Amino acid sequence: MRADLAAERAAADAVLDAALRDSTADETEAIVMAQDYALSRIMGNTIHENIIERNRTLSVRAVIGKRVGVATSNELDAAGIRTLVKRACEIARLSPADDEFPGLPTSGPATAEMEFAYDEATASTTAAERAAAVAKIVRVMVKHEIDAAGYVSTSAGSVAIANSKGIRQFFRSTDSAINIKAMSADSSGYAEGHARRFADLDANALATTAAQKAVAGRTPGAVDPGEYTVILEPPAVREFLGYLSWTGFGAMPFAEGASFMSGHIGERVMGPNVTIADDFAHPLGDGMPFDFEGVTRRPVTLVEQGIARDVVYDSYYAAKLKHANTGHALPAPNTYGPLPLNVVVSPGQKSAAQLVAETKRGLLVSRTWYIRLVDKLQTIITGMTRDGFFLIEDGRITRGLRNMRFNESIVGALGRCELAKDLVRSENHVVPACRIEGFHFSSGTTF
Amino acid sequence: MRFDAEAQAALDTAVARGASYADVRFGVVRDEHIEVRNGVVNGFSDSESAGFSVRAIVDGAWGFASSANAERKEIDRIAALAVEVARASATVKAHGIELMPAGKHTGEYRTPVQVDPATIPTGERVKYLMDVEADIRGARGVTVGRAWMDIWRTTKEFANTEGSRIAQELLQCGSACEALAVGENDVQDRLFPGTCGLYQTGGYEIIQKADLPGNARRIGEEAVALLTADLCPSGTMDVVLSGDQVSLQIHESIGHALELDRVLGWEANFSGTSFATLDKLGSFRYGSPLVTVVCDMTCPLAFATHGYDDEGTPASSIDLIRDGILVGYMAGRDTAMDAGVKLCGCVRAEYWGRLPMIRIGNVNLQPGTTPSAELFDGIRNGVYMESNRSWSIDDKRLNFQFGCQLGYEIKNGKKGKMLKNPTYAGMTPKFWGSCDAIGDRNSWTAWGTPNCGKGEPMQTARSSQGAAPTRFRDVEVGVVGYAR
Repeated sequence: MRADLAAERAAADAVLDAALRDSTADETEAIVMAQDYALSRIMGNTIHENIIERNRTLSVRAVIGKRVGVATSNELDAAGIRTLVKRACEIARLSPADDEFPGLPTSGPATAEMEFAYDEATASTTAAERAAAVAKIVRVMVKHEIDAAGYVSTSAGSVAIANSKGIRQFFRSTDSAINIKAMSADSSGYAEGHARRFADLDANALATTAAQKAVAGRTPGAVDPGEYTVILEPPAVREFLGYLSWTGFGAMPFAEGASFMSGHIGERVMGPNVTIADDFAHPLGDGMPFDFEGVTRRPVTLVEQGIARDVVYDSYYAAKLKHANTGHALPAPNTYGPLPLNVVVSPGQKSAAQLVAETKRGLLVSRTWYIRLVDKLQTIITGMTRDGFFLIEDGRITRGLRNMRFNESIVGALGRCELAKDLVRSENHVVPACRIEGFHFSSGTTF
Repeated sequence: MRFDAEAQAALDTAVARGASYADVRFGVVRDEHIEVRNGVVNGFSDSESAGFSVRAIVDGAWGFASSANAERKEIDRIAALAVEVARASATVKAHGIELMPAGKHTGEYRTPVQVDPATIPTGERVKYLMDVEADIRGARGVTVGRAWMDIWRTTKEFANTEGSRIAQELLQCGSACEALAVGENDVQDRLFPGTCGLYQTGGYEIIQKADLPGNARRIGEEAVALLTADLCPSGTMDVVLSGDQVSLQIHESIGHALELDRVLGWEANFSGTSFATLDKLGSFRYGSPLVTVVCDMTCPLAFATHGYDDEGTPASSIDLIRDGILVGYMAGRDTAMDAGVKLCGCVRAEYWGRLPMIRIGNVNLQPGTTPSAELFDGIRNGVYMESNRSWSIDDKRLNFQFGCQLGYEIKNGKKGKMLKNPTYAGMTPKFWGSCDAIGDRNSWTAWGTPNCGKGEPMQTARSSQGAAPTRFRDVEVGVVGYAR
């Protein structure tokens, strides 16, 4: 059970005020992050790990001239805050000046109210209530004579930011997730759900989906490596988009020429049916309305109907590249540059079932695993299929397959794809299922 | 121990609430990171975190709770909460937890240190990295230069209801530098030393011996040269891997495969399981007779070396693969009973607030007898590969594909021209079975990995894999992505 909103905000403000008051730096930024996180993990229809974690940290960024220092601690009494601020100032004094540092940001447009982001029932979920959800999952597995692995999690957290130039922000939210891998002796099936409100997750329905996949995948066959039409379900699409975000949609690699977007703004980089944005406020998402400098986030269209439009910025890269700050800073010190954390892919016209039904011969990928970049500019990745890999023949899923390794360009694949109409949240992104022609598998495996 | 009274209070509360076993860990972790990028210190941070956690068993099921607030009232709350969580676990239980006896241990451990990093002025450390990074960009054509160092200090105390009381102070250090060169439709990078730097236990001497200044210009020049180098050919050929790349190969295809929790399915939904199932123990041919691998948690300098693990088991060394045959697993007290294997002290948590789990410790491929200069001998057509840049392996640790930053052709036993984008792929037992020469002790290094991920919620661990340059025959080289 967390404190009420006013009390939680007041407690965070007191820490922020103390940090700003104690600082002797020219400019100071303070961030208080608090989280209660609980997760009940399943294996073999048993809860084998079950945790509750609570932590609250203060991070201080001190600016002296063009010198910057950051220190973080979870000792938040008066003495601890004083020590922390002093350390941040010492680090700043020891750092060489960064002539391009623009100073801390000032407050900008009003930040959206997102009261719906917090759900008291989710914040107050007990271990017994999570166990009850696990028990529902196990009942489905027992009915299908298979085992479950996975987890049920609930969390509540807040972020409070203030700086000496007038920014002051507070946001609190809840989140929850169910992750299920149903396993038979020679097959597995996957389902996941994410929602700000735990009550919005249907453990029974997710378990049924995962179990049915595991049952349908029994006695898997094999297909030869080569090019296939594939249907990627949302968890697989999300993994592709996550990689694209990290390597291509941030201002740092963009400025260095290391992004596939570099030098191509205004040019076609994907198919005309692909529009990708970063949108913190999407109703299915888990975004927050400001970034880790306290700057109000703006929705950013990254790719519009296949045309490269923009990348995301924080205050440093906005000043460096003379672009508007889009409010996508990560917590300092940040060696990755700004990143989009809430990617939304615009939906297509057909249901995922229709995409399958229209496929003469293809492969359905429920989930991927261990994706790694093979080539940054070409966005070639390699990875494995996992937990539900099926053959599609004449518009029907006909059998399970042994898993395969793929090598494919993400951007290239999004140039020959059709997107489904239903959007689903997967982790922190909102994506549809997707059909891709000529998707390349390079090898197989024995399971 | 500083927290003796608090630890006893936590254990007393857990037992009073119904725990049949409980342990408590108090910890303080301090991480210092300094990073220079293109002449600017873009990452200079000092992070400190303190708190405690309680683990409890009730009715054969685990519960865990942690908090940053170590006041007496909160200690009682967290201990009671761990029991409550365990009781909830017990309501969904197909089988119960049984702990391998580990004995009662009282002791202290401190990482041997030659040069305390605190004695090196911070300004001197910053200047060191600034100079290294400037030297990288002294190579004409480098787009981005980077240099960084990390220092982790961990103080922890452990107590359990079996009477163990353990205090430890660990120090881990590491550093690296990297060059990025951007050409027309190509990006190439080079990192030194190895794949992610030189990370070991010890003091500032670990950073000094990495010798970034002696190699910065070279890696800058190599990154630029790679832009115009020939593409690595595809085909079946012999491969010699640098020691750091062998380290990663060990990590991914031996280390993770032999974590017993994975073998038993505890990581099935995320990190995955393992092809190296219990029925294979003692008979399965994992590699050629040259391949002997141990998990040695006492290995001097190695990144994961400590005195005791986070469930109070003393550090020791066990065999995992002996003369190519699978003979052991890395286990925890709650998994070892299922396999009947020994403990070596490899159960660790990311920090005081996280649940301990089996982590790759110091998994060492024992050195061979071949001087590294002779590893190319007998290769008519092959490739030498160094420093990983992409790694992918399936969730049973069988089908892998790794890419390296730098390659050289090997022709008739001699090093030939530079090659870019070298990759190789294979299946784990076949690949290790093709090992026919391992570099000798002089070329062997305990390579640390600072960012191994596992568990849910995900925890980062610092592991180590000792390796020397190694030769493999008839390996599948090249990937189709480059051919399209």
